[in-house]
Amino acid sequence: MNETLEKLVAAIKTGKRKDAKSATATALENGTEPQLILDALTEGMNDVGVRFRANEIFVPEVLVAARAMQKSMDLLEPVLVASGIEPEFSVVIGTVQGDLHDIGKNLVGMMLKGANFKVIDLGTDVSADAFSAAIKEHNPNVIALSALLTTTMPSMEEIVDCINAMDTDVKVMVGGAPVTQEFADKIGAHGFSTDAASAVELAKKLCA
Amino acid sequence: MHTPTAMTSKERIRAAIDHQQPDKLPLDFGSSFITGIHCSVVEQLRNHYGLEKRPVKICEPYQMLGEVEDDLLDAIGADVKPIFPNRTIFGFPNENWKEWKTPWGQTVLVSEHFKTTQDNSGNTYIYPEGDTQAPPSGHMPQTGYFFDTIERLDPDFDEDDLKLEDNLEEFGLMSRSEEAYWTEQAAKVRGSNRAISTHLNGTGLGDIALVPAPFLKNPKGVRGVADWYMLTADEPEFLAELFDRQTEIALQNMEKLNKIAGDVIDVVVVCGTDFGTQASLFCGVPKVREIWLPRYKRINDWIHQNTNWRTFKHSCGAIEPLIETFIDSGFDTLNPVQCSATGMDPLGLKEKYGDRISFWGAGVNTQQTLPFGSPEDVRKEVLNRCETFAPGGGFIFNAIHNVQALTPVENYIAMIDAIKEYNGDK
Repeated sequence: MNETLEKLVAAIKTGKRKDAKSATATALENGTEPQLILDALTEGMNDVGVRFRANEIFVPEVLVAARAMQKSMDLLEPVLVASGIEPEFSVVIGTVQGDLHDIGKNLVGMMLKGANFKVIDLGTDVSADAFSAAIKEHNPNVIALSALLTTTMPSMEEIVDCINAMDTDVKVMVGGAPVTQEFADKIGAHGFSTDAASAVELAKKLCA
Repeated sequence: MHTPTAMTSKERIRAAIDHQQPDKLPLDFGSSFITGIHCSVVEQLRNHYGLEKRPVKICEPYQMLGEVEDDLLDAIGADVKPIFPNRTIFGFPNENWKEWKTPWGQTVLVSEHFKTTQDNSGNTYIYPEGDTQAPPSGHMPQTGYFFDTIERLDPDFDEDDLKLEDNLEEFGLMSRSEEAYWTEQAAKVRGSNRAISTHLNGTGLGDIALVPAPFLKNPKGVRGVADWYMLTADEPEFLAELFDRQTEIALQNMEKLNKIAGDVIDVVVVCGTDFGTQASLFCGVPKVREIWLPRYKRINDWIHQNTNWRTFKHSCGAIEPLIETFIDSGFDTLNPVQCSATGMDPLGLKEKYGDRISFWGAGVNTQQTLPFGSPEDVRKEVLNRCETFAPGGGFIFNAIHNVQALTPVENYIAMIDAIKEYNGDK
């Protein structure tokens, strides 16, 4: 890895958005392979995920790292598209109907992007019909459902029922404050994770 | 064991906070915006206890909390009564009540300034200061039971040029009309046998529910939740200075409040800033000690030196690593004591911290047991928590955060009956 990419990895790890942007610009100007720049971003975000799971860093540090990654992606994405480089796996993510909370959902989305998943974010208060339509349109590998409120857990169950009744091999993962492994098993979800970094590991497992 | 003679509710609460054995277990429901009951459950409770049939008043419109009036406080045996702030989170006073039909079909009473609109999908929007000309600051989905804030981002905001003044707009000195409000409220509860609790204004120091400023028509500065969290990583000096300025203003207001209503208040909710997720912290311990602890300490020290109030700190989540910091900050009570979160083992908390900070909450899990368990599950958990936390005082029973919508009323009753059973009243 050259010096510029090392700077990029360091900028992602420490959440320095301006450094991330300038290192990406320099790498592109120098004609660095876009895949290598993407690999540097993934390496930086992977390190963030590892330290987050180990309670060495917390949500704010993950957010600044994801923001730094986004500043880099703003420059890199058009080059990736032009080179025909696409993520191997895709995830449709959303907060379930009746629920407007999105901090956790957004964090999971950012971490998935950092692990080079294509993320289709349907936002909040998303109905079973909207998830079904997104499955038909995007044919994702994974659906990720989020809920913060106890009152919207039944909505999560309804959406899982609806997806499982479809002719699809998409995997469903769930998370959010009141959600537990026991609840995930009960409603027929394929996986549950307690935090954004573990959600990435789970998504990888579900895609394998 | 020596059982003290019968106490008033006020004496019971104060004894428990001060780690003395009260005559029986003290109980709170409805004294704050984090120890309350959703209005739908309040209505069912009023019906259950055969109280006068009338629409429930919405004392806190954001979470749609119902007022627990004196007759219901008596029925459940609650010991604390609130003085609510003069304005709601949406910036309007609760006055001149009118009927409003909720999306789930309940008729409730809301302030005349509670102004809403609906879009074609049935989403409800609420407006700051009741001004429908301003952009809405809260939103309830068609199938929802609560509002959530709408982040209205300042178009001129520049993250490279943060201005303290922008995030200080809502912090000001108590006005004449606020002084009159507090004078009137204090007169209403002076001489009450119940303990009196209130939320302090401006001591929240980064309470995430208040960051988007749903009470302001056009908030400036850092108003996005994620943007705010990033400040703790990126701009700790900015936050520290902002909290210093907020603390300066709050201390002046506390002095005024003490003159007006100091004699009637027993407990002040100082801060609702959540530091915990279900499994971890939002912010590392060193940073909390650097940014929050010195300002908390100034507030708590002033209160302890100048008043007879006890102070209350709320933080959800897995905050065991921060309890020592909260004790060093001078807090008297901790709420809601989320025992299901990582590291929040009831017995461990009582043994390690029980003689140095009081637990206000911890009674029953409102994410699992209370809404989804059986009445017997509720009874067992409540009795277990009472046996763990109550000996020697230092425990005020409350559910772990507000009782949520769709909680079966029989489970709530099972909780109250279990407390009575523990007290030997049943």
